[in-house]
Amino acid sequence: MSGDTVSEVPKYLIPRISPEAAEFFAGTVRDELRVQRCRACGLHHHYPRMACPHCGSDDLEWITASGLGTVHSYTVIRQQGIPPFNEQVPFVVALVDLEEPGARFIAQMPTLAPEDAAIGIRVRAAFQPASEEVSFVEFVTDV
Amino acid sequence: MCVVGVGLADGPKTPELSALMLQAQAFGRAVADSGLKKDDIDGLASAGYGGMHEVQLAEYLGLRPHWLDSTSCGGSSFEFHALHAYRAIQAGDVDTVAIVYGNNELSAAGRSLGTGRAGGGGAAAMPYPMSWEFPTGLTLIGAYAMAAQRHMHQYGTTSEQLASISVQTREHAARNPHAMYRDPITIDDVLSSKLVADPLHKLDSCVISDGGCAIILTTEDRARELGRPMVYVRGAAAGMTHHSIQAMPDLTVTAGAVTGPKAFAEAGITAADVDTFQMYDSFTYTVLVCLEDLGFAPKGEGGPFVASGALGLGGALPTNTDGGGLSATHPGMRGLFLLCEATRQLRGEAGDSQVDGAEIAVAHGSGGWLSTMGTVVLGTEPA
Repeated sequence: MSGDTVSEVPKYLIPRISPEAAEFFAGTVRDELRVQRCRACGLHHHYPRMACPHCGSDDLEWITASGLGTVHSYTVIRQQGIPPFNEQVPFVVALVDLEEPGARFIAQMPTLAPEDAAIGIRVRAAFQPASEEVSFVEFVTDV
Repeated sequence: MCVVGVGLADGPKTPELSALMLQAQAFGRAVADSGLKKDDIDGLASAGYGGMHEVQLAEYLGLRPHWLDSTSCGGSSFEFHALHAYRAIQAGDVDTVAIVYGNNELSAAGRSLGTGRAGGGGAAAMPYPMSWEFPTGLTLIGAYAMAAQRHMHQYGTTSEQLASISVQTREHAARNPHAMYRDPITIDDVLSSKLVADPLHKLDSCVISDGGCAIILTTEDRARELGRPMVYVRGAAAGMTHHSIQAMPDLTVTAGAVTGPKAFAEAGITAADVDTFQMYDSFTYTVLVCLEDLGFAPKGEGGPFVASGALGLGGALPTNTDGGGLSATHPGMRGLFLLCEATRQLRGEAGDSQVDGAEIAVAHGSGGWLSTMGTVVLGTEPA
């Protein structure tokens, strides 16, 4: 956790908790990365769904992921009109492939200097409280 | 099926015109261009507004169509419309279809489309997939940027190569008096323009303009009666891979890898037969990846291909000969303008931008975040 207080996250950034994502968000407030695994094909996915996007089966289970992954790609956002991002630029947003096959996250890497961003670096999930029910998943490089 | 009429609304900046006015202006000009009467049109397609927009537009135009297509899947919607109209006209369900788009994007909404426009209800009101991206601060251009970054990593594509697309497109725009930006630019100009989302700069990005476009499609028999230069639709295909960039299966391959070969096969052509390419250039990377996906360059070799000058008027594949979205016109969605410019080229009506002897033109639309793709092959002869 970065130590920021809950009240610093604007309410309009906080998603409505859709039923299929309830388990995921419940995990985030415990600093656990919960992802779905398909019992039929064995692959994982994120964001949460009712059926596996890889094979279509609805025989899904929740697992706690290690939180470790690899940057598949990234960008440095240098122009953003929406608060609070307009004051945070430049910042890194990355696509992270988790160790668990099939699951890809999109997340900020707020502590990573833009010049240090690179495809292939190893990262770890961290949790940023946004409300009583939601913590945002970020990724950091101190694996 | 043939394209028998094309019309462009005023632009690139028309604060005195509403979106509906721009649509009606383009429609009127396309009808006049075709030589048809308004009441000959029995099908209508449009996209981008929701809320029974096509029905409102038909009423505004005084049409009573019995065929409507409201497929709205981003900037490539109009290639989907052309595909659907092609099949419906082939089947005899409809005789003559107008596809219409227009928007006062610049005057009404300003330039914030790609870099964070405040969403009305925030994350809680967003479509479910986007509710996972919005809190990260990702922008529209940021989604494309992540795809471009991956292509560079895998294939060694460079910012200079991407910039050469902007430079060549601006050379085309210089010949189009209606283009938004016409002054020549260099690769250094692109690279020294503001970095918006690494690796994409401001000059890797399309403009935001006002504008409108309409095209009229009808049967070959009716087209022949009109006595205008014949422009045939020879093949078309459409598809998608994802909605949000987090779910794109491969950041370096779009649905164009399917739609291109499928449309080319129906048209009885190969990539080498194409005389001019009209490609939705939302960003330079969109052009590069689709050049590869449609087979104009092998996968991974789009960079050297564009850097060779291929996209210019004397190049191997003159592309976006009206100055494209990068320099000329981009009123929110551009897919329909591609079909218009392809038709003008095949009719020999492209003026200073004319590709000599153009017989095959391809329009390829991209929608969303490299999400939806549609390819239409046009020719001066039937397939």
